[in-house]
Amino acid sequence: MGMLSFSQLFWRLVTSAFFLFFIVPVIFVLTSLFADFNDNWNHLINFVLTGYVLNSFYLIVGVSFLSLIFGVGTAWLVTRYDFIGKDWQEWALILPLAVPPYILAYTFTSLFDTYGSANEIIRFIFSTSDDYTFFPNVRNLYGAILVFSSTLYPYVYLTARVSFINQSRTLIESGKLLGLDDKSVFFRLALPMARPAIVAGLALVVMETLSDFGAVEHFSVQTFTIGIYRTWFGMYDLNTAMQLSSLLLIFVAIFLIIERLERNKSSYSYAGSTFKPIKRIKLVGWKSYLAFIFCFTPLFLGFLLPIIEILNWAINYTSENFFSNNFLSSFFNTVFLGLLAGIICTTFAFLFNFIKRFEKGFFLKSISFILSLGYAIPGLVLAVGIIQFFSILDNNFIRSYFEFILTGSIFGLLLAYVIKAYALANNSIESGFRRIDRTVDDVSLSLGTSKLKIFFKIHFPLMKTSILTSLILVISEIIKELPATLILRPFNFDTLAVTTYIYAAEERMFEAATPAMMIVLIGLIPIFFLSRIIRESRPGSR
Amino acid sequence: MKEQEILIIRNLSFGYEKRREILSDVNLSLKEGEILGILGASGIGKSSLLRIISGLEVPKEGEILFEGRLLNKNNLIIPPNKRGVGLVVQEKALFPHLTVLENVKFGIKGSKSKKHDQATYFLRLLKAEKFKNSMPNKLSGGEQQRVAIARALAPQPKLILLDEPFSSLDMNLRVELRLETKELLKRTNTACIIVSHDLDDVSSFCDKAARLENGQLKEIST
Repeated sequence: MGMLSFSQLFWRLVTSAFFLFFIVPVIFVLTSLFADFNDNWNHLINFVLTGYVLNSFYLIVGVSFLSLIFGVGTAWLVTRYDFIGKDWQEWALILPLAVPPYILAYTFTSLFDTYGSANEIIRFIFSTSDDYTFFPNVRNLYGAILVFSSTLYPYVYLTARVSFINQSRTLIESGKLLGLDDKSVFFRLALPMARPAIVAGLALVVMETLSDFGAVEHFSVQTFTIGIYRTWFGMYDLNTAMQLSSLLLIFVAIFLIIERLERNKSSYSYAGSTFKPIKRIKLVGWKSYLAFIFCFTPLFLGFLLPIIEILNWAINYTSENFFSNNFLSSFFNTVFLGLLAGIICTTFAFLFNFIKRFEKGFFLKSISFILSLGYAIPGLVLAVGIIQFFSILDNNFIRSYFEFILTGSIFGLLLAYVIKAYALANNSIESGFRRIDRTVDDVSLSLGTSKLKIFFKIHFPLMKTSILTSLILVISEIIKELPATLILRPFNFDTLAVTTYIYAAEERMFEAATPAMMIVLIGLIPIFFLSRIIRESRPGSR
Repeated sequence: MKEQEILIIRNLSFGYEKRREILSDVNLSLKEGEILGILGASGIGKSSLLRIISGLEVPKEGEILFEGRLLNKNNLIIPPNKRGVGLVVQEKALFPHLTVLENVKFGIKGSKSKKHDQATYFLRLLKAEKFKNSMPNKLSGGEQQRVAIARALAPQPKLILLDEPFSSLDMNLRVELRLETKELLKRTNTACIIVSHDLDDVSSFCDKAARLENGQLKEIST
């Protein structure tokens, strides 16, 4: 078709520049695979690589298994049955999402170590000797599996629940008429129909587990991310660290593809026009209590237990820390960075989706799709790529012209945050745009309105909620981010996550409680919005 | 005085990506104040034709002349907001965050008082003045369609395109709004193309009619 107009060309340049900054760090990481493999690989292959791979594998298998039990089990119970506490458990089950795995890991060790609170309580109750240990050691692979499953199962719960809710009563009743009992209805009908949704949720759990650095480091589980970190900061070998990162990235990409494919398929279990909401069975007596305990267990492990412990420490032992300079500066740094990244992500998401509405080209569609995959890149891998990208920019361009270097500046952090959180902003802005019918644009144009006026007078006012949602989601995500922040932050620039990490690494748990509590509190904001949606999302409750 | 031809379409063809041509060699002309009805089955390309005339889609070939001005020639395409062609769609597409009056004022150019007076005038003509301060979601389907028509006519375009404007209304309301809209179009001497799958819409509303078949427009008797 025709040539591009000046404004089209301008916006293509802006979007391409944004895309370039986004993609270059990842390309740097991947191209390292084509560089020489140095002698450190001998050491890695002979002594540690098998351990990294196996530990990561065992961790994924364990976390997947437990997350499936927690996530699918609870989703089925709250959808299909009525039991004590079901109404509040239905939305409360997503609360663990507000607790990052590394914070849960810190509270777990403080609770279950030999002289942790849980063992102290047992010793007090049963008046046993001072060295009596009731709870098993959690600083190992099993502890890590429990920690990841307890905070990440809500991804499976959310997708499975939506799928179960959308399964029509007619289907379940047909199954029963064909001779299925309750158990068979679950295993032979509900579960296979919900499989794509469950796999999509599970892929997210796996990606988060593979990306983690804080929890596995605290539990001394030698996974792939630990391997990258040690190669970089222990062997001082950035190139090998990048090569290891490439392997991790390829592995994550496989799960990303699985998630995308299954997410597209998940609509097949959804209801058609003959939809009738599933009828719940009332559980009485011990069955009701059993269902309650089953749902309460992951909620207790993933949310209540750490919250109680952190609140106890923060309020009873270190309440004065809320006013300390250290806490306040890391709080403001975090909010400042979160807000800045939120504004950048939201602005670009708005811009991309606005242009996409009027331009039907393959170019924008593909860029937008690639940008929305950034969330899957592990923070540590991003940090490796950004450091390499910035040092090349510094050495070849920046230093020659400015008295400033990019490496170690706030820009690296911002870039990492924008790449990680862009998908969140894009999701809420995209769904906001989807709610505005395209005929509104057509009619506006036929009334002689310019695109700029449509942007400001129609889209912007109609999208205020989406913009706010996007900002909140990005901020709450960034506040939790640890590995990229730890590596990319400027000297003496602490965030809440870094402060928590440093205190916990020094086993100063009481001090770690103040920033940890703030991270959880801010993380709870979008979770409460989400839980409100959950409460209103059941067909028939609208 | 001889009536001027306000719209001339010559040898127009169009097709969406990866689909066969849905309009081929379409020709039509329309005089000032004249109303043309286009009949045809669903999905045959009626709405696409309106979208091409309004500038929302780009034809593969052919010319569109509006008020003597060529709207498309090679790479030069006059964008929809510069054409001065009104459009009313079945979905109404009222701006949900603006009141009825603000909706109608939206496309009018000029001073504040001109916008207000002109919008109120058209709302009155379409018997919609009494709910001018309401939000669109408080109105019934018929009321919303009155507002949509008032909004399209308020900037006083020389040509208005109506895409199944009455199809979602019940029979009584449909007859009433059809009559009122026709009267208004004649009073303002606005040319109009209406597409519909309903023969009644076309026979009672239009000066001339055509049927879209196999991508081509064939004039029929009303």
